Amino acid sequence: MNTKRKMFGLILSVAGLLMPIFFDIQGLDFVGEISLGIFVMAACLWIFEPIPIWATSLLVIFSQILLLSKEGPVYLFSNPDYIALEESVSQGEDMESLFAVPSEALEDEHLLLYDEEKRTVSSLEVDIIEDNGSIWISSEELAPGALIVIEKDHWKVTHEPIGFQNFYNTLAHKIIVLFLGGFFLAAGAVKFGLDKNLTRLMLRLFGTKSSFVVLGLLVATGVLSAFMSNTATTAMMITVVLPIISQLDTGDKLKMAVALAIPCGANIGGIATPIGTPPNAVVLSALSKQGFTIPFGDWVVLAFPIVAIMMFITWRLLLIFFPPKSKRLELKLEGGWNKSPKAIACYAIFGLTVLLWVTDKLHGVSSYMVAFLPIALMPLFGIIEKSDIKKFSWDVLWLMSGGIALGISMKLGPAEWLISLVDWSAFGAFGIIMVLGLVAYLVANVVSHTVAATILMPIAISLGTSGGTSTDFNYILACVTVGIMVSFSMLLPISTPPNAIAMSTGMIESKHLMRIGAVVGLIGYLLASLFGYFLWEGMLPKPF
Amino acid sequence: MSKIYILCVDDEPDVLEVIVRELEIFEDYFPVETASSADEARAVIRDIEKSGDHLGLILCDHVMIGENGVDLLISMQNSDFTLDTRKVLLTGQAGLEATVDAVNRASLSHYIAKPWSKDEVIKVVKEQMTHFFLRSGHDTLPYAMILDPMTLAKALHDGLGGDR
Repeated sequence: MNTKRKMFGLILSVAGLLMPIFFDIQGLDFVGEISLGIFVMAACLWIFEPIPIWATSLLVIFSQILLLSKEGPVYLFSNPDYIALEESVSQGEDMESLFAVPSEALEDEHLLLYDEEKRTVSSLEVDIIEDNGSIWISSEELAPGALIVIEKDHWKVTHEPIGFQNFYNTLAHKIIVLFLGGFFLAAGAVKFGLDKNLTRLMLRLFGTKSSFVVLGLLVATGVLSAFMSNTATTAMMITVVLPIISQLDTGDKLKMAVALAIPCGANIGGIATPIGTPPNAVVLSALSKQGFTIPFGDWVVLAFPIVAIMMFITWRLLLIFFPPKSKRLELKLEGGWNKSPKAIACYAIFGLTVLLWVTDKLHGVSSYMVAFLPIALMPLFGIIEKSDIKKFSWDVLWLMSGGIALGISMKLGPAEWLISLVDWSAFGAFGIIMVLGLVAYLVANVVSHTVAATILMPIAISLGTSGGTSTDFNYILACVTVGIMVSFSMLLPISTPPNAIAMSTGMIESKHLMRIGAVVGLIGYLLASLFGYFLWEGMLPKPF
Repeated sequence: MSKIYILCVDDEPDVLEVIVRELEIFEDYFPVETASSADEARAVIRDIEKSGDHLGLILCDHVMIGENGVDLLISMQNSDFTLDTRKVLLTGQAGLEATVDAVNRASLSHYIAKPWSKDEVIKVVKEQMTHFFLRSGHDTLPYAMILDPMTLAKALHDGLGGDR
């Protein structure tokens, strides 16, 4: 499958990584060039997918510790020119030593010392005495033979390196832990049937009239996918619904409406909470790097209206595109609540965690800390066991970690360099957000949503921090709006896993999915723009 | 990306031809290979292993010239490379003893009795390939269109399938 495309991506990514070695890129220092190389490599691998996307993320972290960290070989073995200090004269009562140094070794009364063993450069303040054009310095801390740097513009001197631990830290970033908390909740919910029972309860509210069953499926899928992965929620819904809709007449378009309501509900529902879908986490991690936190509850308040409106619109569209023939549809869901002590403990922990998350602003305990409640308590009560942990989508966490790590190196120059390629002055402050959102929306239809968000976030932030745009460009608003727009990318079967699962049922063809996906996506994009412009700006912190 | 093969073994060329035609819908996703004897099947498996690919399913006749089908399946069960391969007998002539052997010693996945119907073969292959994916941990989503939706959905639910 697409072998040529994959080869192309592979070659492009290697070329991207090597490019900084062979070309001098205007406007970027050596570190910036390496960072740009890592970005190009990651982007090509993520977009063309010759290797799994999570593998690319791990490769990003490996490249960073190797090429960018203070302890890495590039930093250790690339050294500025240096010379040894010779003692020349001693003077004064205490026979203070004076050393002659070339002018290029000095900068603002500081001398750069080189430590041959540690391969590091340090700065030392010295007294300068000028005499007949030659420069003499004195300092008690200097001894003959000390090594002084005479190549001040070497990148090792101009650049403050980052320790490798900083890149490893992204693997346990607080956003990753928040998601891990979500994984524990979801695993518990699946194990003890909480998701199926909640579905049963929610669907009962909507009765048996065909049109309302479609709405019920949208809402139930949406609510669950706000806390579980969109993929697992869709899969659960399909197992519930497929045996029933398979019984319908071949010509009854209710089949299609139902098969499409589920992935649409999952894709839209994921927007509702920070843990609903990985792009939300990418937004939050990008903002947290800038020192801004959006509380869990605030995100829900901000996202809920657009989710609700989009659900309603999608419902109407589904009924218009796929008018049901059957007037009624009975979704008989079997099963009941598991009343074993473990199940009850699981439900209680689930409820408590969600409650503490959405009320984090009231009680003040960060949602990131609350996330460890299920992580610690579920294993304690035997709700989650070793075999359950093995099922977790660790790849999703690593995918996000690599994205967060890439954000670190993007700040070393590439983000600003990339935005300098475009003249942004033609767009207004909000026009930029619309453009970024459109790019993100289009890209996310063909690549992973997480990747699309990961690539766009550093660019949005740099646009705000570099001052290259109009002063009222709010990058926090940009990140949130663009992140939400990404979730509306559901045009193709490959756009999201829920779409692929819905296609696998055989109830719909690509053209049906594309019809609803295109319209819902476009309306979602426009609605997010309106919300961003009129509402979200006032609800979010301001970076300026 | 590595490929996942389906292998059909039967000593009658006509039968092989029919099966391959019936498995046409899988060709875009899983290349279908054929062999007319157990030895030839082993050679095909070796080639697949050498190229770093996988064998998802073998659809095998029992009574053949040379080594019989059940013995081939048993030897596959004892090899690491083909341990996860789904093993399906498609035969009219396997006696009780051979069948019991196939279940006990080759972990037979499914038994299709001759004469078979096209729908049955497709259904079995879909289900069994889905089980192969679930057992071996390959990413199912690129193949979602050709796998069995219920088995796949159940697995993605129980296995907490992640977003991307």
